[in-house]
Amino acid sequence: MEVKFNVRRYDPESTNTVSHFQEYQLEMDDASTVLDGLIRIREEIDGTLSLRCSCRSAICGSCAMRINGQAGLACNTKILDVIPENDSPITVEPLGNLPLIKDLIVDFQPFWSKVEAVEPWLQPEGEEPESEYIAPNEDMLHLAGVMACIMCGACVSDCTVLEVDDRFLGPAALAKAYRFVGDPRDDADDYRLGRLNEYGGVWDCTRCMQCVEVCPKGVAPMDRIMVLRDKAMEAGFTNTNGARHAKAFSDSVRHSGWLDELRLPIKSFGIFNLKAMIALIPTGIRAQMNGKRPPIFHKSIPGAENVRKIFDKVESKK
Amino acid sequence: MYDHDVLIVGAGLAGMRAALAATDLGVDVAVVSKVHPVRSHSNAAQGGINAALTDRGDDWRDHAYDTIKGSDFLGDQDAIELMCREAGEEVISMEHMGAIFNRDEEGKLGTRSFGGQRQARTFFVADFTGQALLHVLYEQIIKSGVRVYEEWFVLSLIIDEGRCGGAILMEIRTGKIEVVRAKAVILAAGGLGRVFEPSTNALICTGDGMGLAYRAGAPLMDMEMVQYHPTTLKGSGVLISEGARGEGAYLLNSEGDRFMLKYAPEFKELASRDVVSRCEQTEINEGRGIDGCVLLDLRHLGEQVINERLSQIRELAMDFANVDMAKEPVPVQPGMHYQMGGVKADVDGLTNLPGLYAAGEVACVSVHGGNRLGANSLLDTLVFGRRSGLHAAESVRSIKHVNVNDSASDSDRKIIQDLLENTPGESFGQLRSDLGSSMNQHLAVYRNEEGMQQALKNITDVKERFNDVYVADKTKTFNTNLMFTLEMGFMIECAESIALSAIERTESRGAHTREDMPERDDENWLKHILVTKKDEGHEISYKDVVITDWQPTVRQY
Amino acid sequence: MRYAFYPGCVSRGACPELYTATLEVCQILGIELDEESLKGASCTGAGVLQEKNERLGDTLNARTFAMAEKSGLPLMTICSTCQGVMAQANQRLLKNPDYLASINNDLREEGLEYKGTIDPKHLLWIIVEDLGLEFLESKIVRKLSGLKLAPFYGCYIVRPSEALGFSENPGRKQALEGVIEAVGAEVVDFPGKSLCCGFPILTINPENSIKMVGNHTIDAKERGADAMVTPCPLCHLNLDGYQPNAASVTKKEIDLPIIHLPQLVGLALGISPEKMRLNKHIVSTKKLLSELAVTP
Repeated sequence: MEVKFNVRRYDPESTNTVSHFQEYQLEMDDASTVLDGLIRIREEIDGTLSLRCSCRSAICGSCAMRINGQAGLACNTKILDVIPENDSPITVEPLGNLPLIKDLIVDFQPFWSKVEAVEPWLQPEGEEPESEYIAPNEDMLHLAGVMACIMCGACVSDCTVLEVDDRFLGPAALAKAYRFVGDPRDDADDYRLGRLNEYGGVWDCTRCMQCVEVCPKGVAPMDRIMVLRDKAMEAGFTNTNGARHAKAFSDSVRHSGWLDELRLPIKSFGIFNLKAMIALIPTGIRAQMNGKRPPIFHKSIPGAENVRKIFDKVESKK
Repeated sequence: MYDHDVLIVGAGLAGMRAALAATDLGVDVAVVSKVHPVRSHSNAAQGGINAALTDRGDDWRDHAYDTIKGSDFLGDQDAIELMCREAGEEVISMEHMGAIFNRDEEGKLGTRSFGGQRQARTFFVADFTGQALLHVLYEQIIKSGVRVYEEWFVLSLIIDEGRCGGAILMEIRTGKIEVVRAKAVILAAGGLGRVFEPSTNALICTGDGMGLAYRAGAPLMDMEMVQYHPTTLKGSGVLISEGARGEGAYLLNSEGDRFMLKYAPEFKELASRDVVSRCEQTEINEGRGIDGCVLLDLRHLGEQVINERLSQIRELAMDFANVDMAKEPVPVQPGMHYQMGGVKADVDGLTNLPGLYAAGEVACVSVHGGNRLGANSLLDTLVFGRRSGLHAAESVRSIKHVNVNDSASDSDRKIIQDLLENTPGESFGQLRSDLGSSMNQHLAVYRNEEGMQQALKNITDVKERFNDVYVADKTKTFNTNLMFTLEMGFMIECAESIALSAIERTESRGAHTREDMPERDDENWLKHILVTKKDEGHEISYKDVVITDWQPTVRQY
Repeated sequence: MRYAFYPGCVSRGACPELYTATLEVCQILGIELDEESLKGASCTGAGVLQEKNERLGDTLNARTFAMAEKSGLPLMTICSTCQGVMAQANQRLLKNPDYLASINNDLREEGLEYKGTIDPKHLLWIIVEDLGLEFLESKIVRKLSGLKLAPFYGCYIVRPSEALGFSENPGRKQALEGVIEAVGAEVVDFPGKSLCCGFPILTINPENSIKMVGNHTIDAKERGADAMVTPCPLCHLNLDGYQPNAASVTKKEIDLPIIHLPQLVGLALGISPEKMRLNKHIVSTKKLLSELAVTP
């Protein structure tokens, strides 16, 4: 079948400093992937097209790029899955949130620096045993899910927080941090959780699920970040807006069955956080004037005691 | 110009292991890699790593014999013994660094069965052991702070007065060329899979290390021993791990028969790879194949086993062959996978060229001889990576840098300039495809004199045409077009040495099977073939196989 | 068509306009809402409770599903976040029968059991799939031609696509655009339409949250949008409620009204803006409504 590709080109050495799109057309068979197309373009049509690629089997992580606006690996994206219905071209662009070098090649240095920042090596304490550390297979199987990360950058590319704040460690680095917190042989949990609790760490994730959606290896970085939040709170790191928010939310639902939206922001920021309380005032006034101020008297749902019982039952199991 | 004590070419398992060993001794180590370390092809190894742990009632001598027999008695037994003796320590070392190996019910390291071995001694991480180990080494590299020239290409080795004293590097991102002096250079640049088309190998496996050594005058050994892996996907050449057969998968022909029972009654599907590939090819040639393939059947393993231990290959089969192996058998065929041969090196990585070491797939010690057992490659990279790193680091104490300056890069600069100034001519893609398909046709599982001579002719033809190769991208920034062209140069050298060695070996042994000379000839051929580049052409020489305790016997599985 | 109505927390708190608009629209479209069966249903957890204790969230949602099952009616949501959280919980419950059985153990005391038959559906999908866009078109009294609208989905109703039944119902990917076009308006497409509004980090990192509001509203405005329409009241809270903050931080006049999905449909069905509390938004809808020649 005939396939059209619209590829974003950028040549830093040309006088045209703006990137532009270039269209290519190829005859391809049904089982082809986007990478097959790009390789044929550079071998048959345009030798100047530059991209990173290596293994062609979704294990090296080199060929991550945005296809039709969504990050993924070119080598395991089938043409049939991304060819638009109305005969328009498949759009191929470099990854987002990372500086562009040329064509589809981005600078991964910011990515690696963040991975390095989480101290991604095993930190066991005490003497090394003669033979292997004893560890249950379930733990190793569980970690295999996170270890499957091939550092391709798709999650970082499409992370909505990194789009507005590049101080965020990002899904890949945080998932990597989880790999160690979740390893029974690593003894630096408190240290790691303490650092992950700081600005740019686990609390800055906006839970948009982009990283879960685009990860080609099913690592689900956001889910790992959520577990890290839980572990941080359990380890006693409760002095953050995020921890206060989670507690206030949980208390509200436990007590009344639903959300006390009036008190929730106050408890999250902390009532003694004068700066934040003052910042809430204009919002509060606007809400009041438009009848959008949640009820001051927060009534429980009928049968709220049943909700309380469930909380007690399930939380005691944990 | 930069100076380092030890320069390591390649940041895969062998390269990074060497770097860690050398840096532990306090010398100044630098690693150069044309891709980021975690993109190295070591990550594609799936099945596992072999080791005989004595506390399991296993004996390294058994592992050694399995390896020697697997090599069809071309492997040097002293080197094999050493590798098998050090295996256990190496695996524990990786576990201590954090590798998430599979565990048994007691929480100790678990094993699976693998090809050519009488006992299960393959330690594994699901079916992505290579990636898991590679990432662990990378973590340790970050921790140790070793300097990595990331995305730098090695153009040539610096040879001064018969000694290797460094390399000429090109920063891919900027096109900048630098002279880097080193008191010892360790080649750990991996294999040459892309010389064949298709291949399980990544696009970066273009034989750079072997090409660099060859051009510098170091001999290449056993180049004719090219492994065809029995279970690769048709078309793409994507690898389906031997681990599948290790967990109990069957190989079926078009009649639904488990044909390996007939050829290898004892080991069945887990006979050594060359044997299985030959059997598959025979079945296909004799009309019992399906579209050039046989079937790998995992249905009886059940979903739980597949999901826990073979999850990656299940995804691969779905993505690249549209087959769910839990429900249907997967069509597979023999595909080019590994180069047993390489730069001749000893057990400490020393090549014939002073100052130059080699470890991993790029090297030939030889521990794999005529055929490599599955899960021995990861072992090879770690054991000899470590040993080369240690030896190189020790050696530099008494060595001074070679006396060269920036002019050492002049000839490489000229080569690149000439390439960039070439007018439209041959496309590297066409050359690569012509070379690859010729190699896959004439130097595959079954070979014969006529075919191999034809291959040599084709290679010479490609070499001629390569003089007119056109580099369309004239820029300095990340010029991948230029890089492929430079890689092509290495590939042609490698292809040539493979063909020459194959023609030279007038017997069948291991992966080298000649239809016109089907018998193994121990009387004349218990020796390695070496190819050395000369000013005019090449020179063939031989080296006897080292035999310690095990005399060659008939190889039955 | 009758549905067990799950209004969610926000439509009864900070976004009362969503609740009233929903009731008005459903009446005209013939969607009967049973508000009794799920009266005692708790909050879904909104992803926040799940991060503390996923099982707790699943139990509370299973409880809600069990209540819906008792009523014998399908379950309707009006919030992207409720929809997404419920769909994810449902996926976990249905994937593992042992897990479901153990959750049911905890529901037994209240006399509830989730049998696995509920498929929560957002009003947006009900309109597009159960009623059909043709039916909607047939009920239209005032075509909103000339109006340019930017869709904003809300993360939870588009990701993860696996849990939201996208492969079985591919129309869900463009459902909002479908409704916009059905009411006669023009879609203003922009890359942020399925990205994050920033609401979840509002109390954690307000600067980033407000930046997201600014990015999406400014982008839509610059592409010619007269308003933005969203099926999620949490997105509405941020995009509407915090738009003044975004404007002051970026020093730009944004002034992009944000309207709820039922309000959009309601306008086309001839319901008065006042009834749907369109005059009670933070970012005024006056200009928008005057363009439609509708008195606010």
